[in-house]
Amino acid sequence: MALRELSSLEKSLGLKKPNKYSTQGERKVPVLQNSNGPSLTGLVTIAVHLVQDAKRPELLGVSAEQRAVVQQWLEFRVTKLDDCPREEVKNVLKDLNQYLEDKVYLAGNDFTLADTLMYYGIHHIMVDLAVQEKEKYVNLSRWFDHVQHYPGVRHHLPPVVVLRNRFYTSSHH
Amino acid sequence: MKLFISEGNPHCVKVLAAVKLTGVKCDISHVDHEERVVPYLSRPTLPVLLLPSGTHLFTPNAICQYFFEVSGQEANSLCNQWLEWEGTELQPALAQALHLSVLQGKAPEAARALQGPLSFLEQSLSKKGTQFLTAEEVKVADIILWAALYPFMSDSNFMPGDLPQVRRWFERVGLLEACQAASQTVINGKGAALKTFLQKQPVPHSQRRDPQPCN
Repeated sequence: MALRELSSLEKSLGLKKPNKYSTQGERKVPVLQNSNGPSLTGLVTIAVHLVQDAKRPELLGVSAEQRAVVQQWLEFRVTKLDDCPREEVKNVLKDLNQYLEDKVYLAGNDFTLADTLMYYGIHHIMVDLAVQEKEKYVNLSRWFDHVQHYPGVRHHLPPVVVLRNRFYTSSHH
Repeated sequence: MKLFISEGNPHCVKVLAAVKLTGVKCDISHVDHEERVVPYLSRPTLPVLLLPSGTHLFTPNAICQYFFEVSGQEANSLCNQWLEWEGTELQPALAQALHLSVLQGKAPEAARALQGPLSFLEQSLSKKGTQFLTAEEVKVADIILWAALYPFMSDSNFMPGDLPQVRRWFERVGLLEACQAASQTVINGKGAALKTFLQKQPVPHSQRRDPQPCN
């Protein structure tokens, strides 16, 4: 799972030489094998390293504040969203939906690594949402649709149909 | 900027120590565990840093990193790795251990819950051979791990087995004035507040979580 994400991220960053990975422990935490240095462990740690390697620092945020926001949602992805207990999933969706009410992307108007990793992590939940639920989480669905159409992001994941036309399903005559 | 903290919450030790150590100017506001500071989160969450732009930061590690960054110390991959380990490996074990020891009075079981992460820390410290986790100086990772482990490592009754490196490292970080002041403000002599904080947390899942997505 995490390894496929990292390989998609490598492609979207245009990194030519694929890295070598392994996994560690029962949670299959990704490990990046590095020929000229110590290995790196953890999805976020490796993803941040890949972005730096690709010389795309703007994807980590362009100011100290934006970098903190990106870091926060990356942390949210691996601590709150991953392995989320079933009864908690609705709260996570609700919070994200509320947060995204006045934002295009997680860090505001700019697309960042936080969007890519949150998209990869939430895809399996969005696939299973019924149409009415997608309507309920309208801001989250809008964000999800933006990100899945963002150039180069989707890769290993199938597209999810998100209705963009709200009144289409809520008309009652 | 305004930092919201509550008594008894170990995560607040992290941010308070970081703010004192970096000297970043910030108003500190003590609030109740139940206070909903971040309008878009359904569950009360602390600590929270409210930035002048109106942005809320609500994860303790991102707040600490922010304090270090604005004071001119950028995190590196090694630090990031420790922060991710703290959030994904240490915190679930800590949540379980705190629940066992503080709410159920089962100290030996709590020590057992922490055995895995603590021996990983012991091995890493002895392999690295530096005074602190990533270097000869204190970095953000030291502050975060120290504060996370404080409720256990500062307790003389806590017997997690032989951990000489962890103990030495813990004492070294604890000598910092910023750390002493932070633990004094949030945790020391505030057992009742810690208990209230834990009672408000969701009951930790005792079984190891399934690596597959849960739906």
